[in-house]
Amino acid sequence: MSTAIVLARTSRAEWSRIWSVRSSWILTAVTAVAVIGIGSLIGHDAAGDPSGVPAEASGWDGGQQTAMFALFGILALAAVTSTADHATGGIVPTLQWTPRRGVLLVARIGVSVATATLLGLLLVAAASVMVRAFLPRVGLPLAEGAEVLGGLAFVFATGALLAAGLGLTLRSTAGALVTVIALVLVLPFFLAQLPYDWSLDLATIMPGSGALFLIFGEGPSDDMTTASARLTLAAWAVGALLMGGWRLIRSDANR
Amino acid sequence: MISVRGLTKSYGDVRAVDDLSFDVKAGKVTGFLGPNGAGKSTTMRMIMGLDRPTAGTATIDGRRYADLAAPLTEVGALLDAGAMHPGRSGRAHLRIGARTNGIPQSRVEEVIDQVGLESAAGRRIKGYSLGMRQRLGIAAALLGDPQVLLFDEPVNGLDLDGVRWIRALLRGFADEGRTVLVSSHLMSEMQLIADRVVIIGRGRLIADADINEVLRGLGGARVRVRTPQADDLHRALDGHAAVERTTSDELEITGLPAAEIGDLAHSLGVPVHHLAEVEQSLEHAYLSLTDDSVDYHGQTPDPAHEPVANGAAR
Repeated sequence: MSTAIVLARTSRAEWSRIWSVRSSWILTAVTAVAVIGIGSLIGHDAAGDPSGVPAEASGWDGGQQTAMFALFGILALAAVTSTADHATGGIVPTLQWTPRRGVLLVARIGVSVATATLLGLLLVAAASVMVRAFLPRVGLPLAEGAEVLGGLAFVFATGALLAAGLGLTLRSTAGALVTVIALVLVLPFFLAQLPYDWSLDLATIMPGSGALFLIFGEGPSDDMTTASARLTLAAWAVGALLMGGWRLIRSDANR
Repeated sequence: MISVRGLTKSYGDVRAVDDLSFDVKAGKVTGFLGPNGAGKSTTMRMIMGLDRPTAGTATIDGRRYADLAAPLTEVGALLDAGAMHPGRSGRAHLRIGARTNGIPQSRVEEVIDQVGLESAAGRRIKGYSLGMRQRLGIAAALLGDPQVLLFDEPVNGLDLDGVRWIRALLRGFADEGRTVLVSSHLMSEMQLIADRVVIIGRGRLIADADINEVLRGLGGARVRVRTPQADDLHRALDGHAAVERTTSDELEITGLPAAEIGDLAHSLGVPVHHLAEVEQSLEHAYLSLTDDSVDYHGQTPDPAHEPVANGAAR
């Protein structure tokens, strides 16, 4: 039997694993309410004072403002789905059913990252639609939408990869959530506030700084560029994936 | 057939499994016995590719478990009934297993019926009793109708009906020519189920033999003789076999078959009132074999020193 068939079967099973537990639905619902709700608030506020909205603005601009909230939902979903098996002992039947660990790694990371990324993009798109619903004069040009969502797809995918990789490394839902939130939210801001050059340099190479720059165009340092932000995020994501992959493939299947 | 060769697993300085070799043949129920911490579960986990051996190999029909593309159709195992996502329903758990191995979803309903979980399959596993989790684990093991089955303590948490069911199930599988390896700490259960036993202690092989051989004392078969001339027979046997005087008219002899002892008594003119091979229970055989290999000993409270609650009357 070809590896492709085993991978396809395992990927289908991973999809079922994600959506057969309530925690995934709850996380999705909470993220959806937050992102679409904030999109609605942005649209509502803009509609209340349309003079403050630039003439060239589109619904995508408002939707993009919600991306950071979508990112946190994505990080949580990826962390929860990648750690659920180890946290509950479900890794025992999982590896009995898919003993080829490389295949399991590809399926698990692939489905988890793709699901989280797609979810984030859908929610940002929905938030953009809500902005336009409150302020019909702003449009939703498809070309701009593709550009905005394309840029966010990279942020969401690398963020989800970082969370999933950390989850496989730490094998603890709480540990993975705390670590990824610290790396993406807490440390970049904390380090940037310290009055030292080294802390600013360190803040610049935090994954949260890269995400912030790619979403809002701002970062802790003026030296940051789109390329450097992408490189930062990609390096963190690949590093986490290598650590998590190594742990899944090489270590005993313990909780 | 399951083949274990030189299997070793170390955790730091602790050797959980130490150069273990044995075979589990098709058509028999092989019991896997050993005291707590003997390395039974670790061995089974290494056979199933869950733990990486420090040395040695474990193969199923000549292949490593980790190399199987659709393992459920070849090997079914229940290793840890508690190791399931508690938030998932029993049916969803089995459907995922079936999906990973290309097994039709209709088979899920068949195994649910087979293990008697029809009414509970839609409920979340967190509400299951230990016995229900065992049944669900067994259902998962049976999904692919495999030729090789491994069960780690399968009767844990099962009621009498469940125990009788699993007993018949395992016997049925062996009679169909399948390979069955089952670990249990319930010796009476093993005596009823197993055709062969592999006994380990402190990770090392202690015995790998037919169960009847173990019950007869692993080559050291004992024979009990009752005679009014026990002294005469004792003297005649000295130097030929180990003789123990159990009562004034009874001897237990190790090292000679019953027929030879009967012939000897006849030639001496010693009347024999009783002559039989002693069949011990598996529990006794197991205890004598593993006595030196028990890591964790409990203590029975000495009634003479038992603390008495203030004012309590006895």
